[in-house]
Amino acid sequence: MIDTQAIFLSLQLAACTLLIILPFGIWLAHHLVSAGKWKPWLEALLALPLVLPPTVLGYYLLVGFSGKTLFGEPMVFSFLGILIASLIVNLPFAIQPIQRAFEAIPPTLQEAAQVCGLKPWQIFYRINLPLAWRGVLSAAVLTFAHTLGEFGVILMIGGAIPGKTKTASIAIYDQVQSFNTQGAGMLSLLLLGISLCAIAISYGFFGSSSNRIARQRWAANA
Amino acid sequence: MGFLAPALIELLASGGQLMLKVRIKSESHGNFYHPTIPLEINLSCAAGELHALVGPSGSGKTTTLRAIAGLHQPELGLIECADKVWFSALQANQVAINLSPAERSCGFLFQQYALFPHLSALHNVAIALENSGLSKIDRLAQSHEWLKRMAMSEFADRLPSQLSGGQQQRVALARALARNPQVLLLDEPFSAIDNPTRQNLYRILAELREDLAIPIILVTHDLREANLLADSITVIDHGIGLQTSAPNELFQKPRNSRVAELVGIPNVFQGIFNAGRLDWQDNDCHFEVLDKGKIPPASPVAWVVPQDGLTVHSQAADHFLPAQVEHLSSLGQIAVVRFSIGRAKESLVWEASAAEIKRLKIKLGSTAYLEFDAHKIHIMPLRPINDPRRLLQ
Repeated sequence: MIDTQAIFLSLQLAACTLLIILPFGIWLAHHLVSAGKWKPWLEALLALPLVLPPTVLGYYLLVGFSGKTLFGEPMVFSFLGILIASLIVNLPFAIQPIQRAFEAIPPTLQEAAQVCGLKPWQIFYRINLPLAWRGVLSAAVLTFAHTLGEFGVILMIGGAIPGKTKTASIAIYDQVQSFNTQGAGMLSLLLLGISLCAIAISYGFFGSSSNRIARQRWAANA
Repeated sequence: MGFLAPALIELLASGGQLMLKVRIKSESHGNFYHPTIPLEINLSCAAGELHALVGPSGSGKTTTLRAIAGLHQPELGLIECADKVWFSALQANQVAINLSPAERSCGFLFQQYALFPHLSALHNVAIALENSGLSKIDRLAQSHEWLKRMAMSEFADRLPSQLSGGQQQRVALARALARNPQVLLLDEPFSAIDNPTRQNLYRILAELREDLAIPIILVTHDLREANLLADSITVIDHGIGLQTSAPNELFQKPRNSRVAELVGIPNVFQGIFNAGRLDWQDNDCHFEVLDKGKIPPASPVAWVVPQDGLTVHSQAADHFLPAQVEHLSSLGQIAVVRFSIGRAKESLVWEASAAEIKRLKIKLGSTAYLEFDAHKIHIMPLRPINDPRRLLQ
């Protein structure tokens, strides 16, 4: 029997994380490109969740959030708590691909846009964002897949309350602990399938567009 | 061309007052990783005039263009166009006026075209009209007109990656002109295209000059190209404008030996100039030369003689200089002779037809006699090469 409640909670967490982190990530990554002397420190801070053990991060969040509320909701052992933790843990996965995509845009294009009379927000909306869409898509896929698989931080700050904080990866752990290997196997297979699909879709996007450009170049030169 | 009519009428009504004046200066700054060159440029370009900036790589040509467009901020100076000040800093780093690139009304053709890769040719042009106040339909219609003018209508829906280099350049030119700019800036537009495309672009540029009475600044390192297209040329070296003059004058009367070197004038010699008399080769030769009285007495000078100021004879005469034929190479109907003159054995290169060489019986090792037309000798201040700042002192 598959724990559908845990699956839906994981999908809900991943969707909410994406919805919040993508606009923020795009905004921050765009500013990071020209951050000046603070850039290395900001980048280091944002990359910290990559190297920090999830339990360490979870411990600090647990201590920091304990007894606090936001919008009337407690910040620990609640969906809000695991959402905030998920946002923090996913910062490097969301920001780095978008930042690299913005950095790859030749500066001459920015200058050409300025000379064309575009305002800064128009340059961002009409030029930079469309040119960085691969980075945005890559960030979305990474964030989504990573949220589905996140375990340590979620367990530390959320526990394993069914329907509230017990996500699919925690449910797998619980089922293994209670010797329900069939249930754990089914859940694992489902998570594996979802992650594989997400990455395959993104690869499909990149692959098809680069093939299309190659075909267009060939046609232009023929 | 219908949609251009209002802008053209406005330009004609202004009586060609669309003058661009640039006077900018920056000291050398930057750091080891991002060095910036000093800049000292003074130029003006009238409506309908094509002004070329010529100089070696890294001499500051493109930086000057970027300063005009508002993409580079000089330390001090004044940039004005059509009596409107675009940039003003009368003291170093105290900027009074600095219009943004969007406010300056410049058409800029970038060296690598800088087309937006995700937009079709049509939308690449239309984006320049984004803030023109026109409706989207009108913006696209105008963009279509520009593409049609550049013979690019049939490629309107193609992405830049589907266009050849020359086609991309025409789209970039259409985009640069779409805003009806007050100045057109061209950054090495002919450097990356093949010869037939280049000839085609020369033609387009010539037509544009007739239709659009705006100043055009062309950056190039190809002096032949500048000579072919420009009304006036500024030679830039190490960020400093060394000379601004008409192409003919530049070749005949370079202001100093560095300009002569940069424009590739052969036969540059050194001598001592003293009150109208030029001594050459330790007083072995003398010429009575005209100058404007700017050179102090007993000054070391560089001097040049154009091809038409030199006559070669086979017989000796009083005021002829004997010269030994050091090198002779024939290129079809043209022959190039290198003479060795005087005790210092200075080399002088002379081009002549094969028939002339035969008539004068010029052979390797033979002696010929050179007659200089002193009125055509041009003298100029001498200064150490690689130190253009000496000129400003």
